[in-house]
This record gives sequence, C-alpha cells and structure tokens, in this order.
Amino acid sequence: MEFAFTEREEMLRKAVRDFAEGEIPPKMEAMEENGEFPVELLKPMAQVGITGIITPPEFGGVGMGYVARTIVLEELGRVCAAFPMALQVHHMACAALNDFGTDEQKKKYLPPLAAGDTMGVVAVTDPSGGSDLVGTKTSAELKGDTYILNGRKCFITNSHLSDFWIVVARTGEGAKGLSAFIIDKGTPGAKLGRKEHKFGLRGANTGELVFDNCEIPKENLIGQEGQGLTVALKTISETGRTGMAATALGILQAVYEEAAKFANERSLYGKPIGTLQAIQFHVADIYTQLDICRLLNYRANWMKDQNMRCDTETGMAKYYTCNAAVDAAKKAIEIHGSYGIMKEYAIQRLFRDAMVTVPAGGTAEVAKVGIGRAALAPFKK
Amino acid sequence: MDRIIVCVKPVPDPKHWDKVGMDPETKTLKREGIPSVMNPLDKHALEAALALREAHGGEVVLLSMAPPFAKTTIREGLAMGADRAVLLSDRVFAGSDSLATAEILAAGCRRIGDFDLILCGNLSIDGSTAQICSQLAEMLGLPNVMHVIGLEQSDGGKLTITQKIENGYVKLASGLPVVLSVRKELNKPRYIPFTGILAAESKEITILSNEDLCVGPECIGLAGSPTKMAGLELRKFERKKEKLEGTVDDIVKALVERIYQCGVIEC
Amino acid sequence: MDEKRSRDVWVFAEQRNGELHDVSLELLGKARELADATGSNVAAVLMGCNILDLAQVLVNYGADTVFVADHPKLEQYRLLPYTHVIESLIREHNPDIVLMGATAMGVELAPRVAARIRTGLSAHCIDLRLDENGNLLQVVPGWGGGVVATIACPDHRPQMSTVMPGAMRALPEEKRKGRIEKLSVDLPESHMGPEILGVEQMVAGEQPLEKADVVVAGGWGVGSKENWSLLEELARMLGGAVGATRPPVDEGWAREGQMIGQSGKTIRPTLYIGVGISGVMHHVVGMDQSKHIININTNPAADSFELSDVIVVEDFMKILPPLIEEIKVRIGKQ
Repeated sequence: MEFAFTEREEMLRKAVRDFAEGEIPPKMEAMEENGEFPVELLKPMAQVGITGIITPPEFGGVGMGYVARTIVLEELGRVCAAFPMALQVHHMACAALNDFGTDEQKKKYLPPLAAGDTMGVVAVTDPSGGSDLVGTKTSAELKGDTYILNGRKCFITNSHLSDFWIVVARTGEGAKGLSAFIIDKGTPGAKLGRKEHKFGLRGANTGELVFDNCEIPKENLIGQEGQGLTVALKTISETGRTGMAATALGILQAVYEEAAKFANERSLYGKPIGTLQAIQFHVADIYTQLDICRLLNYRANWMKDQNMRCDTETGMAKYYTCNAAVDAAKKAIEIHGSYGIMKEYAIQRLFRDAMVTVPAGGTAEVAKVGIGRAALAPFKK
Repeated sequence: MDRIIVCVKPVPDPKHWDKVGMDPETKTLKREGIPSVMNPLDKHALEAALALREAHGGEVVLLSMAPPFAKTTIREGLAMGADRAVLLSDRVFAGSDSLATAEILAAGCRRIGDFDLILCGNLSIDGSTAQICSQLAEMLGLPNVMHVIGLEQSDGGKLTITQKIENGYVKLASGLPVVLSVRKELNKPRYIPFTGILAAESKEITILSNEDLCVGPECIGLAGSPTKMAGLELRKFERKKEKLEGTVDDIVKALVERIYQCGVIEC
Repeated sequence: MDEKRSRDVWVFAEQRNGELHDVSLELLGKARELADATGSNVAAVLMGCNILDLAQVLVNYGADTVFVADHPKLEQYRLLPYTHVIESLIREHNPDIVLMGATAMGVELAPRVAARIRTGLSAHCIDLRLDENGNLLQVVPGWGGGVVATIACPDHRPQMSTVMPGAMRALPEEKRKGRIEKLSVDLPESHMGPEILGVEQMVAGEQPLEKADVVVAGGWGVGSKENWSLLEELARMLGGAVGATRPPVDEGWAREGQMIGQSGKTIRPTLYIGVGISGVMHHVVGMDQSKHIININTNPAADSFELSDVIVVEDFMKILPPLIEEIKVRIGKQ
C-alpha cells in the first residue's frame, strides 16, 4: 500500500495550483455578483489540459485518469469551487461519450469539449426529482427514425454555456425504459429555460432546459435504447460523485487554510487565538476531517483508475466530503467570530459553497441506500 | 535560431522563507524542508526562448549548476516546453561564488556547443547578485545585455533588444551569439500544460560532473571564489518604527531620504 | 599581500546625458572615509563625451584624482568599451577598492569588469567598512532582505562592490583641489558590442495595484475627495499606484478595485505609504508584507504605527505638498 503521490502527480498539482492562483482570483468578484462563469478562461484551461483531462489523446484530450482529475478539481476548488463544479459536469459529458458513444459521436463531440470550445452538460434531473431517476417524466417517443422529446430538465450545470446536451428521457416503461440522447443547441423545440440562482457556487451556471416536441434523429442516441439508466448511473457514480467530492475537498482545504491563518493572526488577550485550546481543537477537527476526506477521495479514484468497481466508495466520498466541508466551514466561521459572517471574509463564501455541494450531484440519502446495501450484503443469510 | 541555452536555477520557495533557519556553528542557512521552485525570472527567460523557437525553430536546452535535487525544477522547465537539459552537478562546485559559477556554466555552455543565444533571469531571488549574465558572457568572450524587457528576432537573425534603464529604455541591435538576462516585464510565462508534464518524463537530463567538464580546481568551489562569506545574520523581521521628529521641514527632508533609500525614486 | 600595493579607493562616476548619478557622489563620500582611514587616495573614473566639466564636481565630492576618458565613442554607455577602459586603468594603477552604484549601468558593468580582472564582486551593498586587516567588509542583503551577509575578498584585488543608491552619504566641499587626468582612448570597432538604436525617456505610467512597486494608501483620515488628489499626485510622482481602505471606497474617493485588505487586494510593494489609516486588521492583512512601510497619521496611538518602519505623527495636509515638491526636485535633478 503506497500513500504517496507520484512525481507526476506532484507536478500536476503544482501546475494546476499555479494556474488557479494566477487566473481565477481576478474573476471571483464578478462571479459572486453575477453568477456567471468566466467563459474566457475555457481556452486557457483547455491549453493547460483541464477540460480534456479524462478524454483520450486521440480526441484532443490528455487522458490522465481519475486520480489526476481529482488533483485538478481539488486544486481548482481550493481557489474557487464554482470551477470544479462546472468542470466536473463537463467531464461527465466526456465520460458518457467515451463510455457509450459511437465512433462518430466521439469524433464529433469529444474534441470540442477537450478544446474548450464549449462546455459539457449531462441533464438527468427532472422536476419530478433527481433522486428518483426511474420516475423521469421527460419523454422521447419514437416516430419512424426520429424521437420526439417533451419535458423539462432543471438544476442543470452549464445549461446556458453549451453547444450540446446529453439528456436522459423516457422511451419505455420502468428502469429499462430510459434512454440517453445528444441534443445540439438550436435544434427546433429545444430551448434554454430560466437561469437558476444558487446561494453558493455562484459562478457555476445552473439552469433549465425545455423540450417542446423536439425532434432528435436516432443517430443521436448514446448507447442503446433502454440503456439510459445505465448511462446515467455509471456516469453519475464514477464521474459525477467523484467530481462533486473533489469540489468539496478543495473547499475543505481552503477552509482549513483560512481557519489556521486566522487563528495565527487574530489576537485576543494579547496572544494569537491559536494558543487557546478551544481553537486548537476546532482546527484539529477540521484538519482530521480534511485528511479523512482526502484519503476517501483518492482511494475511490484510484479504484476507478484500476477499473475496479467503486460505486460504494465514490458514494462514501461524495456524501462524506460534502458534509465534512459544511461542518468544517461552520467551525471556521466560529473561529472567525463576527468576522466570519462578514462578506469581506472568504469563509462565508466557503460555507455557502460547501452547503450547495451537499444536495448537488446526488443526495447523501441516495448514497447511503447504496452503501447500506453493500455493507449488509456480505452478511446476508 | 538553432539552439538557445536557458540558464535555470532552483531557489527556495519564497512562500516558505520565514521558515529559514541558520546553523549557528557553520553560519550557513538551513534550507531543509523548504521546497524549491524555479527562480521566477528564469521562467521568463525560458518563455522567451520558447517563443523564439515557435517563431524561428531550433532547440531549447536548459542548463543548471546545482545539486541533484534540481532535477525536479528542471523537469518543470522541460514540462514548460524545453527540449532537453544539462545539469552540472558535483560536490566540488559547492561554495562557488558568481565568478566560479560563471566559469562552470561557461564550461557547460561550451560542452553543449553550437548555441546562438543564452538567456537567463536578471537575478535569482535568493542570492540576488545579478552577476551571472555579464560574467558568463565575459568567460565565453561574448557580448551581453541585461535588464531586457523586449526581444524580437528578424528573419535575418538579428535581435532587437529593449533594455530598461532608470526612467527610460534603450533599444539595441545585436547579432548572435549573445548573452541576455531578462526582467519580468518581458513576458508572461506560460502555465505548464499537462501534456508537457507527460512529455517531460521522457526528455533527456544529462548530468555532468567536473570529470566531464574538466574545469581547473583553482577556478571552482571555494578555491575559485574570490569573494568569501565573512558573516551571516538572520534579520529578525521587525519593523523599525522610526519616528521622525522636528519641524515639518525636517520631517519632509527625512521622509524623502527614507523614500530614496527604498530604491523607488529612479534617478 | 604586496605591501607596496596601492590602497587607493576608486569610484566609477556614472553619468548619462551629462548628468552625474547621485550614487556616484554618495560613493565618493564613502570612498573618502575609507581612504582617510588608511591614508590613501580617492580616484573617480569618468567616461563619456564632452564631460570634462563634471570632473571638478567629482573633486568637490571627494576625489583626489579624476581619470577622464572623453571620446565620441563613449558618449553613450556601452558595456564592452566601458569595460575595456576600466580594465586598462585598473591594470595600470592597481587600486585596492573599486565601487560602482547598483544602478542599471553598474549592475551590468561591474561584473563584466570583475570577471575580466578575475576578482571578487559583491552586489547591492548597503554598508562598507574595513576590518582590522584593512580588508573591505561588504554588507549585502539576501533572501528578500531576511538575511544579511558580510562578504570579503581577502586574496584578490581590487575588491569590488556595487552599492545601493542612498546607502552612503555624499560629503561635498565648496572647492577641493584634485588632479584631473585626461586619458587617451583607443577603441577598435570590433570591441563595441550591440549597437544602440535609440534611447527613450519615459516616466512609468500608473501600474495595477498588485504589481506596483510603490503604493500610496489612504484611509478615512484623508477626509475628502479634494484631499485624496494629493495621494494620487504623490503616487504619480513615485511611479506607483493608489490604494484605499473601505471608507474611502464607500465615500467614492477611491474605486472598489483600489481597496486593500481582507476583501480587497493583497499587496507586497517595495514601499507602502499610508495616509490617515488607523490600521485595522482587515486592512493590515492586505499590506503587512510590504517591504518598507511609512505611515502618516495625526493619532499617535494609531495601530498602523505598530507595523511601520517610519512613523510620522502629523497632519498629512502639512506633509504631502512639500514632500511632493521635494521629490519633484530630486527626480528633476537627474
């Protein structure tokens, strides 16, 4: 068992950190104000390799695997979590195409994603509920060689920034009745709905997609008809949860740094408050949670890189890291005292960002259903 | 342009300088535990070399005189885009001042051979002597220009150089080869691309000792260094809190002196 | 060490466009002090074209001898011809110490000369003194100022240093007597180096706050937008940027992007001048890594004084106008 990162991974971390610290801070104020993602950074991110990190080189990507991707998302999240939020969904589109797309589909859609020409979107959640995937109401009725789509998707990240969307819709009955489609923007009947206003991860664009008798050719199916649930679950479980967990991990790292810096800087009773045991205990808790989450994250992604089944591990990483980030941020706000509730200080944004990661990309409850099942299985009679 | 040599140096990461300690016995700085980064100005020099290569072709070779741990920093330079690297590493180089370092780097440059241009940073943030450019050029018998903030190459090969001086600029024309040291205003160094990290793993780092370079022992290390360390003090970073007293006139005069001593009035 | 070696102290007198750089005059003051301690002479090396009248100035500031290389080819500073002339002089006269200002010119020229002569050079010195053996101890900062090293050059001559402008004090006398020696200059074209295409004078424009070397920051104490313009003028004079705490931004004297602190920018300029700033933590964390900190405030108990290198307890309205004038004179002189 080796717990150290390789030289390649250390270089990668440093490279992303330099990029994140150099390019992102000037954009953050506007992102908080407007809720808009700075698309002008897409090309620089593509040049460095962020947008194509899991895409194979023959499609313009870097093909570096999931541990590498986690490093990238964590480092971006340490500076501004809206970035990994947006990018991890982008990567979900890359993963869905890579795992289930035809050669034509891969050749057409993977390169622009890697090149930062557009952002990727995977639209699974209906207003009927993301946690109840099988209950999806968006329908796709086959008429000859064309599917007619009707319905609405909400809480969709990058909805307004993409040239095409991967959408899950109902083509038949039950769990085997879902199918996944690629829909190009501008297809008649496919519309951008409203933009949604989150109280955290403000710069990650989130919005609705609306389908009104939208005609999609059969060639735009990803995978087989009826394979939609598999496409959705594999993509969410392997790429979505790990992405959200890495986002929360970055936030947690930032929370720790803010807490430790403040504890050493702020003086009360003539000494830095970091000399008080109560504060030390708060910081110790944050530090321990950070380490736990880091191990959970990297282990799950390592398993994915080894092509091992890892949906339990990704589920644990996701629900645990997102909640740990919220708890740590709350503690950190208390360490800051009243400074912690002032907008001048970063910690309030970290708290809000962390809270948004909790339901986004899969609730803890749904994760625990899977984890519980896996935990009970070995002892079933 | 056929070959550009870029001199790079690992320096202790300035973000961790407050952790630097001093060995009271040997009066040397204890750098353990402080990670190294590429000297920031060297990145600007490397960026300039890569840009010239993109415009006019050629090969970019990194050259460094440092202990073996420098390989990490050199790999970063290779990841940024340099083609290969030469690391001059030998215990006998230890203790070299800028003159001895220039001798060794000159031997390295001669060993690489056939170069058209040598680029380096104006100074390194730890030693800050800013002496290597002129001394290296002198050893190689080449002209040199420091404080470069603009650099272009015409198709004919001539370089147009903009040099920053106090309150202005000098524009110079130079043939090749020449040794230049650059300021940060020259360019914005590119971020390391991930493909570069992968490519760097198979790029060549040649390590040469003095057995390969054969620089005379009287020219290297402590023996080859006319300047010697006579004392070293860690400056406890405390604010001086000097209160200026007297009439308004006195205070203003003293203020101007203090401002001038900060080196910000360019005259 | 050869007892008959000269103990003379030399100063390279830097001039551009017929104007001597202040640092050369300061170095003559120090050279005078060093030479007087060993009973030796001070010489200045002056190069250029039609600069003979500067020689007496150098004598007034302490030179016993001024070597003048006056030649059209030396009118503009060029590294190789200047190195050649200085090298010849050094080899002929064997001075003990050669000092230059740590200016753009000195930083480029001194190492070339030192390498040619194969002697030791220390850079950006902030102090010079003699040890008990008469060797020159050269004090240099390193590691961003966190370390101070003392350098010596015991076995090689001349001992060379480039010295920070402002580190030494000029000691002018009304009329000193000195010897002015005109040199014959012989420079083959092949030793000239890169060709000068042109020289441009330019005052640095306003820099972005995070990159500025100098920041003049104002707080609530500045009082009004009219008063604020004094800070802008001072910043302009120093080629720097203007920063602010939150109250001036709220009042509209400064822009949001000029705010320094927890929710604004973090800056690390070489010089920070605070005007009317109390020094609350959320401003301080944005600027306490500045290299030099000057604060001007009427409140003698201001927190900002706790982290200042220079403290001025005075109304900035009385200080800034004459300060701006003095700086104008200082810059205009060059």
